[in-house]
Amino acid sequence: MIVPFAHILLFAAALFVMGLGCVLARRNLIMILIGVEIMLNAAAVALVGGSAYWRQVDGQVFVVFLMAMTSAEVAISLAMVVYLRRRKGTLVADDFDGMRG
Amino acid sequence: MNQSLLFLIPLLPLVCAVLIMLFGMRLPRLVTETLAVSGVVAAFLLTILFWGYADGEGTRASLGTWLAAVGVEIPFALYFDALAATMTLMVTGVATLIHLYAVGYMHEEADYARFFGLLNLFVFAMLAIVLADNLLVLFLGWEGVGLCSYGLIGFWYQKAENANAGTKAFLVTRVGDVFLAAALLWLFALTGTLTISTINAQASTISPEVVIALTLLLLLGACGKSAQLPLMTWLADAMAGPTPVSALIHAATMVTAGVYLLCRLFPLISLSSVGMLAITAVGALTALYAATCALAQREIKRVLAYSTMSQVGFMFMAVGAGSVAGAMFHLITHAFFKALLFMAAGCVIHLAGNENDLFRMGGLAKRGPRDVFWAFLAGAVCLAGLPLTGGFFSKDGILLALFSHADPVYQLFWGIGALTALLTAVYTFRLVYLVFAGEPREHSHSHELPGLMRWPLWPLALLGLGGGLINLPPLFGGHEWLSHRLGALAGREIVAAHGTEWLLAGLATVLAALGWLVARWRYGRFAPPRDNRVSRFLLRGWGADAAVDLLVVRPFTAMARFCFIGCDRALVDATLDGLARQTTACGERLRAVTTGRVSTYLAAFVWGFLIILGGFLLALVR
Repeated sequence: MIVPFAHILLFAAALFVMGLGCVLARRNLIMILIGVEIMLNAAAVALVGGSAYWRQVDGQVFVVFLMAMTSAEVAISLAMVVYLRRRKGTLVADDFDGMRG
Repeated sequence: MNQSLLFLIPLLPLVCAVLIMLFGMRLPRLVTETLAVSGVVAAFLLTILFWGYADGEGTRASLGTWLAAVGVEIPFALYFDALAATMTLMVTGVATLIHLYAVGYMHEEADYARFFGLLNLFVFAMLAIVLADNLLVLFLGWEGVGLCSYGLIGFWYQKAENANAGTKAFLVTRVGDVFLAAALLWLFALTGTLTISTINAQASTISPEVVIALTLLLLLGACGKSAQLPLMTWLADAMAGPTPVSALIHAATMVTAGVYLLCRLFPLISLSSVGMLAITAVGALTALYAATCALAQREIKRVLAYSTMSQVGFMFMAVGAGSVAGAMFHLITHAFFKALLFMAAGCVIHLAGNENDLFRMGGLAKRGPRDVFWAFLAGAVCLAGLPLTGGFFSKDGILLALFSHADPVYQLFWGIGALTALLTAVYTFRLVYLVFAGEPREHSHSHELPGLMRWPLWPLALLGLGGGLINLPPLFGGHEWLSHRLGALAGREIVAAHGTEWLLAGLATVLAALGWLVARWRYGRFAPPRDNRVSRFLLRGWGADAAVDLLVVRPFTAMARFCFIGCDRALVDATLDGLARQTTACGERLRAVTTGRVSTYLAAFVWGFLIILGGFLLALVR
């Protein structure tokens, strides 16, 4: 393997933390979704790396599943974004506090 | 005939009471009224039919076991002896006439089913007292009459004062009942039975001190029901009830239940001379107290209520002097003439347009129907004890029993009795003069008198005037029928010289005549009432209500207030409320955490995740 396994894992971890930061820090719903996507892709990178390292195909199969799941997730969440935007006229996540105690 | 048929006497009024209470308002009015009257009439006729059963030792009848436990068996049992039979005949007879009167009196009342239901239930309870073979059945009736009295005094409960009068009567008599219950339990502990005749037979085995205590307990129990000192405050207020109720319950029957109880247990109580002295003293003091109060009352029914108290005091004196026959004799004649007076007073109030105040009546002899006047006068001369009326003989018998008693203290009570007799004559004729003499002082609209309110007066007037024949002393050519009928139950034989008897009879005549003259001199011509301190004092019943209020009601209220506000609210409630408030406050503070914002939750989620991860790492490092 040209790239060392440790680098791949570090890259995946960095990607995950950035995604997490995006999810936590941003208030726009779309940006939060993008953060989630980045975190998912970080997981996918780690899986592909693992697959290459152990020369097993399972990781790649997982990634294919992950892609399918992600596309479904994006479709649903974007639909919800559209719906929420219509309902409240805003996309700021903090405005949706209907569950406040 | 079967002896169990005796049970029909109390049970028929009970059946009628239940029927009236369940279906009274659905049946036509006439049917309900007929049912009410027929239950009592049937009991009266049955008493006459079974009269022979009372001969000799009397008859016992049992309907089965009421309570059964280890070593205890208390049956539903009746004892029909001469004493019970005489009393039953009086109760059912007077109740019959009063029921008939009540049909007339209540003819405009909308809630007649409740009235007649309670009235019949009362007759049942009273007969249970009279016929009881054991003290538990007697106690059942004792509480039953109290309940009916409560319901009937407060019959027009929409007015708060009537309802309060009922509550007062119930509570005050309940005080006496506690003592009676204590006496019953003690007797049971001593003798292991509650059967009256067994207790009387075993009485001599009980130690003298205990007999004194038992007698005093029984006396207090009797005082509650019979409105004697110190439990007498309820009777005057009990006049808030309808007049037939006053006549039946608060004059003729229930208030004499205490006398009857003492007569029933006479073999027991006669063993303690201290107890007998206490009974006489209570009777004498009540007689005098009530007679003085009656002198100043303004309401016609209150005068009669105080006079009832006073006359029941005479009966207590008779029991205390050892003359059961004398007590029963006065009980019976008093029932006749006092029921008559109350019923006539009901007619008078009707005629005066529901006016209760003596000072605003007057002239009813001219204005009203003559028969009411004559009936009232018949009752009044009996009460005042004019010679040859029933009241004269019975009161004279009691005074003779007191006078001829071996113990000189009883002479003092005789003096009080004679003074009371004088006062009785004064207030009785005061009543007659204020109601009937002169011109009407207020022109009020008088109501029509239904026939049913008028003719039941006549049998009672005859019975009251001729009541002396029941126990006519040999001095007047009689045979003392009642004393012979009671036989061994009659108590002490009264022995007195003929000269003494003539002297006392003469004195009684003089006292009655003197009372009449005083009343005639003072009230023959109406003068506006003088309002001085003495009359106010007497009008308020010597301030008895105020004293009770000060000594009992207020401390009790204060204690209840302390328990409620001091203990229950300040301690128990406050602790629990404080706990609840603290919990709520914690919840309030925690509430701030749930902002409803996704970002907060996510942050918490991440922090939580990091903590768990840190924990794992620490575990890994170790």
